[in-house]
Amino acid sequence: MLKTFKGGLHVNDNKNTRNCPIENFPSPAKVAIPMQQHIGAPAQPLVAKGDYVKKGQLIGNFETGLSCPIHASISGTVADIEMRNSYTGYGKTAHIVIENDYTDTPDDNIKTFDGDIFTATSEEIVELVRRAGICGQGGAAFPTYAKIQSAIGKASEIIINCAECEPYITENHRLMLEEPEKIIGGARILMHATYTEHMTIAIENNKMDAVEVMTKNTAEYENISVQVLKTKYPQGDERQLMYVIKGVELPAGKLPADVGCVIFNAETCVSVYNAIYEGMPLISTVLTVDGDAVNTPKNLRAPVGTRISDILDYCGGSTDNLSKIVSGGPMMGQAQWDMNAVVMKNTSAFLFLSDKTQSNDEGDCIHCGRCVGVCPMHLMPNYLAAFSKKDDKVLAEEFGILSCVECGSCTYICPGNVPIVQYIRTTKGAILAEKRKAAQKAKESEAKS
Amino acid sequence: MNSNTENKFLTMTASPHIKSPIKTRNIMADVVIALMPALVWAIYVFGFRALTITAISVVSCVAFEYLYRKLMKKSNTISDLSAVVTGILLAYSLPVSTPLWIPIIGSFFAIVIVKQLYGGIGKNIINPALAARVFLFVAYPTELTAFTEPGKYLSPFAVNVSKAASDITAGATPLVDLKNGIIPDADITSTLIGNIPGTIGEVSATILILTGIYLMIRKVITWHIPVTYIATVALITLVLPLGNAGGVSFMLLQLFSGGLMLGAFFMATDYVTSPATSVGRIIYGVGCGLITVFIRYFGGYPEGVSFAILIMNLFVWYLDKATKPKAFGGAKK
Ligand code: SF4
Ligand code: SF4
Repeated sequence: MLKTFKGGLHVNDNKNTRNCPIENFPSPAKVAIPMQQHIGAPAQPLVAKGDYVKKGQLIGNFETGLSCPIHASISGTVADIEMRNSYTGYGKTAHIVIENDYTDTPDDNIKTFDGDIFTATSEEIVELVRRAGICGQGGAAFPTYAKIQSAIGKASEIIINCAECEPYITENHRLMLEEPEKIIGGARILMHATYTEHMTIAIENNKMDAVEVMTKNTAEYENISVQVLKTKYPQGDERQLMYVIKGVELPAGKLPADVGCVIFNAETCVSVYNAIYEGMPLISTVLTVDGDAVNTPKNLRAPVGTRISDILDYCGGSTDNLSKIVSGGPMMGQAQWDMNAVVMKNTSAFLFLSDKTQSNDEGDCIHCGRCVGVCPMHLMPNYLAAFSKKDDKVLAEEFGILSCVECGSCTYICPGNVPIVQYIRTTKGAILAEKRKAAQKAKESEAKS
Repeated sequence: MNSNTENKFLTMTASPHIKSPIKTRNIMADVVIALMPALVWAIYVFGFRALTITAISVVSCVAFEYLYRKLMKKSNTISDLSAVVTGILLAYSLPVSTPLWIPIIGSFFAIVIVKQLYGGIGKNIINPALAARVFLFVAYPTELTAFTEPGKYLSPFAVNVSKAASDITAGATPLVDLKNGIIPDADITSTLIGNIPGTIGEVSATILILTGIYLMIRKVITWHIPVTYIATVALITLVLPLGNAGGVSFMLLQLFSGGLMLGAFFMATDYVTSPATSVGRIIYGVGCGLITVFIRYFGGYPEGVSFAILIMNLFVWYLDKATKPKAFGGAKK
């Protein structure tokens, strides 16, 4: 019996691109690089319109807070610095538009790490990772250097998340098959930097070929094990991952480090490897292009800032019934409103979906309990939606609305077509806003007295 | 082929972007399918009048649902098939000698009063078919307590058969004897098969169990309610039999005659009026069992299934609330 967690979904995994090798996307004519692609403060542009920038050059930074430096993904001239609406909910964000000169001139600062990285101190590695602009490339895009810092002295186990439980996406799968040494190399650097004693590489059992490759490539390390997980959504969620691997339920409001774990995404490890051994900051990402409305599904490595329209052209265009573009997986990804959206550091997929896959007329809850059965957080989504509808925040909180991780399992399974997560999101947002306000007030009155 | 379409209109909806293909309609269709074998059996035992009554009941349920929603300018919901299920279940809980206008009144009560006045599917508190059955039972006691012997076919189209029926009806189901503490003549085999007097859909225990299992395999219902409900009735009737009857045969007759199987598999499992948690469903099933036996032993009626389920319907919200699972990682209480 494979280990798993309680709840969750068996969905058609649609891993159509599992056999599509990662292709290098040809350098696009133009990129638009957002100054915020990570959790924390946005970076401030360091270049101006008309400047010449080299590939890998630092073009945005914010030294003093939690943030992530941003680098040019191609060489060329800065055509504009535009304020645009962010496609991932960060609000208005500056985008540096670079016109390609197709020379790929590398920045002078790009150099590999001198000497043995395993004799470097944690502080040195944290600084190298920070300067390379690395953030989590699986989901939330949390700055990786800060994650390392938070784990030092607390975590004893490092988990490399290769679960890739979202349907369609195969980029981690391909990376495991094609660049296992980079994932493992990067992961070992992170292990060294976080002083963790043991590493688990977690892979779902729909990628047994990858399990084989990773097992072979880690055979020489006694403190690294490969853990096969049952294919079930959302197995890649950090809480479920830790539950399956370590048997601990992460208490609400706590960080993985508080229960002795630190978790990195597979591609993040590759970026760390590239930063150390090739000196290249995070300027490109691997993504899966799929969906029933794209002509040629592919796996690509594309420069950060590449527009969706360029990606789509490269993948043979869309079919006529294209109705939705999603950045990320179909369960948690975000719908994009036009083709100007760009590849970001944590982009894992662009999905082009037809109207066939849609059905959004809101229906009625028939109280079937299916959502209760699939909720990985063991909530009662039906009631959370009902309370949200009535704007009853008190009952919603009593029923644990703040524990919802917005995985979408409940909405997926609901036969009544109730947009449960949407209701939950709205009410959760309202409750959190109230709490922030209350905290603010308390602070102010404290300051006064 | 479309490419580089800058201004193409794109759908902006929140995640998830894929949904399970199983909708309310598919689930209800499965329930309808599962209810069909019992109808075939009813036609065999009671003749085509069983079909007439079922058809009238289904058509009027659907019609009332359609008309009400139309008059109230609400969305048309008949395609979810829930009114069809209600219609079948209502007919199944009537005796075959029922006058043909009675299911129409029952349908009105079920659909308009119990279901739609509360807001339609998912909003009603008690099960519409059961509530209508109890209403009819109270309003037309004579018509609804005459039971025909198996094999005595009544006219499928005669509006009233009470006159003719008086010559040919047995008048009592095995439950009436059981209530008086005697083991009825009906032997266990014909009870199991369903060759006994009773309402249209309740008689064949075997068919109802098999189709109930079908619903479990199809994941339309879970085992919790039927198993705990039936087990509770079995346990009490075995350990605490009524009168001198006693024994296994008393228990078996309690299980297989009357509406227990129909109630346990098809009525108590109605989503809307049963709990959404597994633990809640277990408590609910046990509660149904206890009340059923209590009414059968001490109540004014020989049958207790309808009342038992209706009473437990009222506790669904409290059961859900009390059995709310502990949130993952949540100790804060
Ligand atoms: S979105 Fe929230 S409520 Fe729904 S299944 Fe996921 S965690 Fe549970
Ligand atoms: S899955 Fe949908 S219909 Fe079923 S209980 Fe949950 S919200 Fe209601």
